Amino acid sequence: MNWKSIGTATVFAAALVGGRAHAQEKIVIDGSTTVGPVAKAFAEYYMQRNPGVAISVSESGSGNGAKSLINGACHIATMSRAMKENELAAAKEKGVDPIAHIVCMDGIALIVHPSNPVKEMTVEQVRALYKGEITNWKELGGPDRPVVVISRDTNSGTYEAFEELVMKKEKMGEKTEYVGSNGAIRQRVLTTPAAIGYVGLAFLEGVKALRINGVEPTAESVNDKSYPVARPLFMYTNGKPAGHVAAYIGLKDTDDGCRLIEDIGYVPLKVKAVEKK
Amino acid sequence: MRAYYSTRHVLDRAFSGLGYGSVALMALALVALLGPIIGKGLGAYWFRGTVEFRLFVLERFHRGNAKKIGIEHREAMRAREPFWAVLRAFEAEMESDSALRRRVGKDYHRFQSHIRELLGPIPGDSPPLLMRQQYGQTRWDRALVKRHQALHIEEWDYGDGTGMGVRVWKPRRLLYAGTALEPAFDLLENHLEAMLRPRWTWYGRFLTDESFDAHFFGGIWAEMLGTLCLTVFAMLVATPIGVLSAIYLSEYAPEGKLIHLLRLFINTLAGVPSIVFGLFGMAFFIHALNVTPSKSVLAGSFTLALLVLPTLIRASEEAIRAVPQAYREAAFSLGASRWHTVATILLPAALPGILTGTVISLGRAAGETAPIIFTAAVSMGEPLRWGRLLTAPTPALPWNLYNLCTEHAAVDEIRHVQFGMALTLVALVLLLNMAGIFLRARVSRQLKV
Repeated sequence: MNWKSIGTATVFAAALVGGRAHAQEKIVIDGSTTVGPVAKAFAEYYMQRNPGVAISVSESGSGNGAKSLINGACHIATMSRAMKENELAAAKEKGVDPIAHIVCMDGIALIVHPSNPVKEMTVEQVRALYKGEITNWKELGGPDRPVVVISRDTNSGTYEAFEELVMKKEKMGEKTEYVGSNGAIRQRVLTTPAAIGYVGLAFLEGVKALRINGVEPTAESVNDKSYPVARPLFMYTNGKPAGHVAAYIGLKDTDDGCRLIEDIGYVPLKVKAVEKK
Repeated sequence: MRAYYSTRHVLDRAFSGLGYGSVALMALALVALLGPIIGKGLGAYWFRGTVEFRLFVLERFHRGNAKKIGIEHREAMRAREPFWAVLRAFEAEMESDSALRRRVGKDYHRFQSHIRELLGPIPGDSPPLLMRQQYGQTRWDRALVKRHQALHIEEWDYGDGTGMGVRVWKPRRLLYAGTALEPAFDLLENHLEAMLRPRWTWYGRFLTDESFDAHFFGGIWAEMLGTLCLTVFAMLVATPIGVLSAIYLSEYAPEGKLIHLLRLFINTLAGVPSIVFGLFGMAFFIHALNVTPSKSVLAGSFTLALLVLPTLIRASEEAIRAVPQAYREAAFSLGASRWHTVATILLPAALPGILTGTVISLGRAAGETAPIIFTAAVSMGEPLRWGRLLTAPTPALPWNLYNLCTEHAAVDEIRHVQFGMALTLVALVLLLNMAGIFLRARVSRQLKV
């Protein structure tokens, strides 16, 4: 038995040393679940064309992405909001120099179950809903059902953007339910007829997106800025990116990158790509 | 026979009845839990694959008979030709009839996107980039869902707006009555099999194929390999430490307050929630010790090793203690040193018990999600390779199962992958346990001889 453990320990140590010796080009990406689909599509596209590069994507929320970058645990932090003052300060303290790259634009869609007759709301009504002042769909011209209000967790960039654009920094009501990802909000709304939630434009399959101030959340309305709840999506790097990281982020400006962004449901920065289609 | 109706008798009856009841309940829960996992999970391996599936496998994995698939694909394409012709005719009609375009233009756009999902790119489309747009439906069950969406318009009848709406599937052909598109619906309804050529397919390589395009295509190799590596390395770390600690605790440690306290700590550690281990692993192994700058198999295995260590120590200690005292006395009386006794007498005799502990830990390490969220698991990454087996982060079955069920943008499209993952994980743990039981049986048989 003891020989066995010595043997396994040797194998283990050998594997460890081997692992250290063959360092391969690696890009570690962590952060927003909203930017996740773009990051994953870019990664697949990039790895297909650069077989020597291994890209990994985690979707743990914008806040975690920022922490990861500050701790030097990732090369790219994907974020659905800009970095905050305290994060920038923490980065500076650790000698990290976060540089923002806007990847694309996204609208935050207010989503309800398709069986809900309510079709549109104003930003003020949405705020009242999330503050807990409106508690029944009846007050919005819908059925007599209590509203189930669903929000992202406070670690989320979508939450922060929503807080700024819709809540105007006012507090959410006590009955608000917080969930951990865009997908989870969508699922919750899909299975709860009286629910309302908010997600990025890539997560609208099967749910009904409300018109806000009379404007439907689409690529066009986000692009011409008529949809009121829109925000940019970011990728942050430590200092100016170089090599593969720069090329990976640079995808956002290529025609193929813009098409990928569009196909996923977001709005590329290069408007031309939209028109070409 | 006399019937007893004494209190004791009734209580006895009631007690055994409760016992049977709980066993039955557990069996029922097991069936209710495993039934769907096995039933739907098998759907990932065995399903009616379409020609698009075979084309995908041929183009991405270079498997299958290229000639045969080529012929089949051409035939499917030929079967689709009349359908495309109808679409072209309708587009020409819309071109000349602006009233028609205004009336149905938007819906036709939706119809087209359903068709793209069903059959792949429409002739004349620019070549798509996302793989999910390059192929039609690879599975016949999904194809039927897509066909239903193409044939019907989903509408919600809200009545007077005061109640919840009711879903109404309105036949799409009504909207296009009298137009050139009408034959398209009959073609879809009656000739979809010729267009997609579904056939029962055994896709055993689901286990060992890489996934493509956020799990829309391919298998679960990256997750599978990640879980295997994490588990094996965790056990490689935990087993020697666990067994050595157990030896110390049972054979060497002087009974006293300190050791009592140590045991208490170990027992407490066994009850600490796994998410706490996960956070500790991140703070300690990644940020403090910096074993790797970011998530890696190494950090994850260390964390998992910590998690299973208490169980392992306790099981091993019990096993060593259970070796009869006479063995020790006999060895000592022959002049064996303490270590010699442990290595040649106690450990072999305790091996079956130690193995049981190891196997239970193995199963636990394979299935745990929380400890690897922050230390090892990523939602997308390449399968591990030899050179960076330990330093790279990896997808892993439990975490990615959760990820695909909640965070994925198209959860409903990839149900089969989710169930396939669940089945694989359960099967993996079961297999590990069976291997352990087998090994244990062999070892104890050898000991008896």
